[in-house]
Amino acid sequence: MKNRYLIILLIVVTGCQSNDKYKDSLNDPETFQYAIKSLTDIIVYDIFSPPVASRVYVYPTIAAYQVIQKQNDSTYLDLAGQLKGLDRVPDNKNEKVNYNLAAVHSFFTISRKLIFSEDKLNNAQDKLYDKLRSEGLPRSVMNASFEYGELVANHIMNWANKDNYNQTRTFSKYTIRNETEFWKPTPPDYMDGIEPHWREIRTLVLDSADHFIPKPPLEVSLNSNSEFNNQLMEVYNIVNELNDDQAGIAKFWDCNPYLSHHRGHAMFATKKITPGGHWIGITAIATRKSNSDFAQTINAYTNVSISLFDAFISCWDEKWRSLTVRPETLINEFVDEKWVPLLQTPPFPEYTSGHSVISTAAALSLTKIYGDNFDFVDTTEVEYGLPIRKFNSFIHASEEAAISRLYGGIHYRMAIDEGIIQGRKVGNYINEKLRTIK
Amino acid sequence: MIKIYLHIVLVFFLFISCEDSIDNGPIKFKIKSAKDTGLDFSNTLNYSSELNIIEYLYYYNGGGVAVGDINNDGLEDLYFSANQLPDKLFLNLGNLKFRDISNSSGLNKDSSWSNGVSMEDVNGDGFLDIYVCKVGNYKNLSSHNLLYINLGNSTFEESSAKFGLDFSGFSTQASFLDYDLDGDLDMYLMNHSVHSVRSYGKSVKRSEKDSLSGDLFFENRINEKENSFINVTDKSRIYNSSLGYGLAIISSDINDDGWPDLYIGNDFHENDYIYINNKDGTFTESVKRLTTHTSRFTMGVDIADINNDGFRDVFTTDMLPYDKEVFLKSAGEDSDKVNQIKREFGFEDQLARNHLLLNSGNNSFNDIALQTNTFATDWSWSALIQDFDNDSWNDIFVTNGIVKRPNDLDYINFLSDVDFGNYMVSQQSNLKKILIDQMPTLKIKNFLFKNLDGFNFTSTTSSQIGKPSFSNGAAYSDLDNDGDLDLIVNNLNDEAWIMENVSENDNNYISFEFEEKSNSKGAKIELYSGNKSFVKEYITTKGFQSSSTHKIHFGLESISKIDSIKIIWPENIQQIITGFDINHNNKISRTLSVKKKSFKSSNINTHLEKFPFKHVENLFEDYDYEKLIPEKLSNEGPALVVNDFNGDGLDDLFLGGATYQSGQIFIKQINGKYEVLKNPEIDKDSNYEDVDASAFDFDSDGDLDLYVVSGGNESKELQPLSQDRIYLNNGKGLFTKLPLSLPFTNGATISSADIDNDGIVDFFVGARSIPRSYGLSPYSFIIKNTGKNLEIVSKQRLGMITDSVFEDLNSDGFVDLIICGDWMPITVLINQNGSGFIDKTVEFGLGDSEGLWNTIEITDINNDGMKDILAGNVGLNSKLKADLSKPINLFLDDFDNNGQIDPIIFYTLFGKYLTFFSKNKLTEQIPAIKKKYISYKEFSKVETIEDLTGKSEDEILEIKSIKELRSMLYLGSKEGFKKIPLPKEAQMSNIQDFIVESIDGNVKVKFVGNHYDYVTELGKNMSNSGGEITDFENFKFNTYKSLNLPNSFNGRRIHKLSSNQYLIVLNNNHSYILTPNYEK
Repeated sequence: MKNRYLIILLIVVTGCQSNDKYKDSLNDPETFQYAIKSLTDIIVYDIFSPPVASRVYVYPTIAAYQVIQKQNDSTYLDLAGQLKGLDRVPDNKNEKVNYNLAAVHSFFTISRKLIFSEDKLNNAQDKLYDKLRSEGLPRSVMNASFEYGELVANHIMNWANKDNYNQTRTFSKYTIRNETEFWKPTPPDYMDGIEPHWREIRTLVLDSADHFIPKPPLEVSLNSNSEFNNQLMEVYNIVNELNDDQAGIAKFWDCNPYLSHHRGHAMFATKKITPGGHWIGITAIATRKSNSDFAQTINAYTNVSISLFDAFISCWDEKWRSLTVRPETLINEFVDEKWVPLLQTPPFPEYTSGHSVISTAAALSLTKIYGDNFDFVDTTEVEYGLPIRKFNSFIHASEEAAISRLYGGIHYRMAIDEGIIQGRKVGNYINEKLRTIK
Repeated sequence: MIKIYLHIVLVFFLFISCEDSIDNGPIKFKIKSAKDTGLDFSNTLNYSSELNIIEYLYYYNGGGVAVGDINNDGLEDLYFSANQLPDKLFLNLGNLKFRDISNSSGLNKDSSWSNGVSMEDVNGDGFLDIYVCKVGNYKNLSSHNLLYINLGNSTFEESSAKFGLDFSGFSTQASFLDYDLDGDLDMYLMNHSVHSVRSYGKSVKRSEKDSLSGDLFFENRINEKENSFINVTDKSRIYNSSLGYGLAIISSDINDDGWPDLYIGNDFHENDYIYINNKDGTFTESVKRLTTHTSRFTMGVDIADINNDGFRDVFTTDMLPYDKEVFLKSAGEDSDKVNQIKREFGFEDQLARNHLLLNSGNNSFNDIALQTNTFATDWSWSALIQDFDNDSWNDIFVTNGIVKRPNDLDYINFLSDVDFGNYMVSQQSNLKKILIDQMPTLKIKNFLFKNLDGFNFTSTTSSQIGKPSFSNGAAYSDLDNDGDLDLIVNNLNDEAWIMENVSENDNNYISFEFEEKSNSKGAKIELYSGNKSFVKEYITTKGFQSSSTHKIHFGLESISKIDSIKIIWPENIQQIITGFDINHNNKISRTLSVKKKSFKSSNINTHLEKFPFKHVENLFEDYDYEKLIPEKLSNEGPALVVNDFNGDGLDDLFLGGATYQSGQIFIKQINGKYEVLKNPEIDKDSNYEDVDASAFDFDSDGDLDLYVVSGGNESKELQPLSQDRIYLNNGKGLFTKLPLSLPFTNGATISSADIDNDGIVDFFVGARSIPRSYGLSPYSFIIKNTGKNLEIVSKQRLGMITDSVFEDLNSDGFVDLIICGDWMPITVLINQNGSGFIDKTVEFGLGDSEGLWNTIEITDINNDGMKDILAGNVGLNSKLKADLSKPINLFLDDFDNNGQIDPIIFYTLFGKYLTFFSKNKLTEQIPAIKKKYISYKEFSKVETIEDLTGKSEDEILEIKSIKELRSMLYLGSKEGFKKIPLPKEAQMSNIQDFIVESIDGNVKVKFVGNHYDYVTELGKNMSNSGGEITDFENFKFNTYKSLNLPNSFNGRRIHKLSSNQYLIVLNNNHSYILTPNYEK
C-alpha cells in the first residue's frame, strides 16, 4: 500500500517531464500482471465457487490474447476456429492503437461484466489509467486503444454469453437422495451442491463435457473387505495420524473460497483464492521467473485459464454423474460421529477430485510453455497467511495439490488417482489441439 | 475526591435526560433515575481476549433480576446479577427508594460470571433465599452456583455446598418447583451448551450426558435425613446432554392435571422441551405431541392466560427483526434443504420468530404470533405476560437488544475475513477485538404489547416503551404497593431501570400472597365475579434469567366485587374463599379442610378412527426446480369422490393416489363398512398423481363414470403423466379407461354439469400451474359433451386454479361457473344460455378478492334465496399480510433474459414494502442482483420492483396480486356479494374444505384446514386443523367450536358420511372417520 502511494507521488512530480514513460509501462508485463491480480482479489472478495471462478478468469484473458494476437500474428495464432463458437475478432484499423493497452482494456471490460463488485474493479482500472496518463499517455492513443479494446470485448462477450451460463442459473438444484452411496450436503453449513449443471456449459477445446469420462468410482461398500472401505478407512486413519508436513500440504492447497466458522451466533468466513486461482498465481510466478514479455505473459495465462475452464467442466461432469458420497458423511454415519476432516468438505460430490483434475491440466499447460524442469517457489498463498512451498516442476506441484485432498480428509485415493489421469487427458488434449504459438 | 465529585455530576445529568415518560395509550411507564431510587447498578462488560463474543457465545446475554420480600416487611426487594462485576442486593425502603445492602447482607463480592437468579424459600423457613446461576467452569471463569440462605435478619449465608447445589458449569437459570408434591421445593437446573466445531449433528446425542452443559434435576431432601438436595437427573428422565442450549425456563401446570410441568426454551437447533410430570418422579418430554412448531432461538418464556378462557398460554421470544432494513440484512430462516436435513437428524420444526402458543384446552398449543402480530421484536430476551393496566387482559412485555449483531450478513460475508489459524496467539487477541469492533451495534426499544380483547394487541410500533437499550433480564412487581405492576430491567452497559407504572386509569385490582411460599408453589387462583372468571398461577421464575413478584395480581377493570376465589392447590386440591376486598393485597393460608378436586373433565367427546386409506406423497422437491416460489405445488390432493358406483343405493368412495400410488374404489357395505373393490385399470395408472376427480354419467348409460385430474407439478405440460383420464363404469363399480384426448396440464379441479341443458353432462377442468413457471396461468378448459364427441367450449388462461363449482348464480336456468385459486379473485363466469361463458367477477362484487384461495362452497346460508359463497383462504395467521391498500404483488418476467420466468414477490411487512425473498435467494435465480447490490445494506433499501430489476411495473410482462387473505363468507345480494370475514379462529390457518349442514333449521359449517408446504420463510401453517362455525343469524360467530382434530392434521377434504360421521381426508397421511358426538 505504502509503495503504491510513493509511486503515484513520484509520478505526479515527474510526470510532465518524461512524456513517453507510459510506453515503458505498457511494455512492462507487470501491467498485465496487475490486471490479473486485481481480478483475483475481486474474485476472492465476491466469493465465486471454483468452477464459476474459472469462467471469470478465462473470458477476459481470451479477450486480451485476441488483441495481442492481432499485433503479433507472425508469432501467435488466432483462437478463432480453435475455441468452440469463437469467430475472428474484428481487425484494428486505427494506427493510434496501443495493443497492450487495448488488451488490458478488453480484459478489464469483460471482467467488469463477470464479477459483482464493479466499484473495486473500476478503482483498480482507474488507478492504472491515471498512472499511464501521468506518464504522458496521449489522449488519442488512449481513446483509440479503449475503442478497440471495447470492440474486442464486445465480440468476446457476445460469444461468452452463448456458453449457457445464464441458462444454467435457473436449472434445478440437486435433490438429496437418501441412499448411502449418494452425495449429501455436509457440515457445518450443509450447503446445496454447487453447480450440478456445470456440464451444460460450453467447453472451449474439449468436444464435450464427457469427452474424457474417468473409469467409474469404486462401488460404495462398507464391507470390511471391500476396496472402497479400505479407502474410506485410509482417509480416516491418515487424518487421525497426520504429521506436520502432511497437514501443511493439506492447508497450503485448501483453496477454499469461503471457509465458514461458527461460534454460537457469531459466524465468520475466511475467504481465499480458488484452486484455479492458485494456478493463476503459479502462472504469475512462472511468467515472471522466465522474464516473459507482455505477449508471452498473456499467452501463458490464456493457455492455463483455458485448461482450467475445460478441466472444471470435465471434472464437474463426472462429479454430478457418479454423485459419490464424501468421506465425512460416511465416517460420521458409520465410523466415528465426532470425526471432522482437517479441511472443510466442499459442497459437491467427491469423485473425481477437482484439485487433482484441474491442477494436472494446468501444470501440463505450463509445462508445454516453460518445460518440465521449471523449479519455483510458490508464494501464492502468502497473503492468505500460509507459508511458501518449493517445487521442482509444475507437475511436482500438481501432484502435491492432488494428494493434499487425501491429507485434508475430503477425498478418497481413487478420486485423486483417477483425477490425475483425467486431468492428464484433458491437459494433453488441450496441449495438442490448442495452438497459440506458430 | 474531585474525580469522584465530577463523576457524580456527570451521572446526575445523564439521569436528568432519561427521566422521560412515554405515552403508550393507557399504559405508561416512567424510567426512574438511579439518583432518586438509590439503585446504583450497571451490568457493564469489559472486553478481554480470554472472554468475548468469539470465545463465549453468550457473552452478551446479560444479567437477571430477582424480586422478593427478604425481610417480610411487605415491600419486595431486588437482586441484580452481573456478568463481570459483583451482583447487588437492594432493600426496598418504600416509595421506590432502595438501599444497597450487598455488603451488609454478606453477598460474595467477587466478579464471577452470574446469569439467572431466583428468590425462593428453599429451606421452607419462611424467609426467601436466593439462588444464583454461574458460568463457573470455562476459560478464565471459575466459580459455582450460589445458594444464599436467608438468616432472617437481612443477612445471608452462602450454603450451596451444604445443600448440594454448588454445581459448577454453564448454568443459565434454575426453577424451583415441587415436582413430587411433598411440600418442599425441588430444583430444575437449566444449563447451556457452548458450540463445538460442528454446529449440529444427529439428535440422538440428546441421550448422551454432559457434565457441564446438561440440565440437572435436584430433589429437596432437606426435611428428610439427607438434609440436602439429591441429584435425581437420571431418575427424572430429563435430557442431560450437550444438545441443550437452555436459555428459557418456566415451571407451570401445562396440562392442568395438578402437577407442575416445565417448559425449557433451547437456543439454536435443539427443540424446546416440554416436560410433562408423570406424577411418579419422572417427566416425559412432549413438545412434539403438544405443539406443531416452536420458536427456534428461544430465549425467554412466560405462561399465562392471554384470552381469559381459563387455559394458560405460552409466549416465547426469538430474534426476528421488525425493521425492514435490519430484517433484510440479517441471516434468516434455514433454507428448506437445511430444514429437511435437520428434520432427518431428528429435530422438530422451529421457526425464528416469537411464538404465542394458544392453549386449546385439549392438550395442544397453536401458535398465533403471526395473527396477533407479536412475532417480531428483534433480538429478544425476557417475555413477561401480565396485566400492566389492570384492564383484566394480560399484556406482554418483551426486552431486547444485543450489543453486537454477529448475524449481520455484510459482516459475515465481507468484514469477518480472518483465519485465526494463521496468526500467533499473541496476535489473535487483537484480531478478535477488531472483528468484534466491526460487528454492527444497534440499540433498540423494548416492546409492550397491550392486550385489547384477548386476541388483538396494539400495534408493535406504538407500544414500544422506554428508550433504546440492550435490555436482558426483567421482572415485575408492585414495588411501591400502589396497585399496579412496575417493571425492573437489567441493562447491559447501562444503568438498571425501575420502570414505574404511571398508567392513568380507574381500573381496580386485587392481589394475593401465600403465607407459606414453599408449599404453595404452582397453586392457581381462579377469581370469579358475575359471569367473569380469571385464572393465575403462582409462578415466579419466568422471562429470562429472572424471577418476578411473589404476589398474584389480578387487574379487574371496573369489577368492584369479587364473588369468590378458588385456590387450586397442587394435586388439584381446591379451596373456595369469599369475602375479599378489592384494591388490596390479601394474604392466604392453606387450610386443612379442603377437598381434592376431581380432574378437570375433558369436554372433548369426539372420536377419530383411521380409515383404511393412506395417501403417500412421493419425494419431489419443487424448490430444487423453482427457487422463488412461496409454496410447493406438488403436494395437492388426494382426490375424493363420494357417490354410488355400483347402484346399490349406498354412497361409495374413490380416493385418489399420489404419484406411484393408485387410487382406490371403496364400496360401502350394508353394515356401514367400506371394502376395496380391486380395479386393475385404475391400479395400472399409479404413476399419475390424482388431485381431483368427479363422477358423472359420461356415456349416458345410467351409471357414474369417473374423471380423474392429473397433477403433481412434476410432469411438465404435454408430458404423458400430466394427462387427465376418464374411466367408464360397468355399472358395478369396475372401471375401464377410455382412450380419449384430454387436457395435458398440471391439473387441479374438475366440475361437471350440463351447461347447455341438452341432457348430457359437460365439464370444466381447471389447472393449477405451469410447472417450472410459477405464477403464469395455465390453460383451463370448459368441455362440452355432445354425446358423440368432446368439444372445447372455452380454453383460457384463467389463473392458478384450485377449486371450481357449477351453480346457477343468476337463476336463469343455466349453470354458471365459479372458480378460485392463487393470485386471482373468486371468479364468476356467467353462462350465456349455453353458448359460452362471460367473466362477471366485478359485476358480482368480487373484483378485489384476489387471494390464495383453496376452496369454495356455494350455499344459501341465510335462506334468503340468494346463493352465498364460502371461500377458504390462507387466513391471517401468516407472515403474508395483505389488504386492499397493501396488496402482495407477484411480478412475472424474464428479468435476466435467460428464457425462464422469474417470479418476484413483494409484500408489506412491518409497514414497509419489501421483497419476500432474501438477497441470497434472489441471487440464486438472478445473479445480476448480486452485482447490483453487492452489500446487504444497499439491498435492504430496495423499495420497488424497478429498484430491484430496472424494469418499471409498466414494462413487466404480468403482475398478479393478493388483496385478501381472510377466509370469507360472500353473502349474495342483488347488489353483488357482500363480504363477511369468518371468525378469527377460522383465520388461524388455511381452510381447505367446507361442508354445510342444516340441522333443525340451524346452519352449521364445518371446515378442515392447515397447510404444510410453505417455504421456511413462511413456515408450516398449522394452527387450526378444523372447526365448526355456527351463528349465521347475526354473523357474530361467538359460538365457534373446534373439531378437536390433532393439530398435526394437514386436512384437505371433509365429507359427511352419515348423520354423525365425517370422513376427513389428509394429504400425505391416513384418512380418518370423525364422530363428533361420540358416546362410549
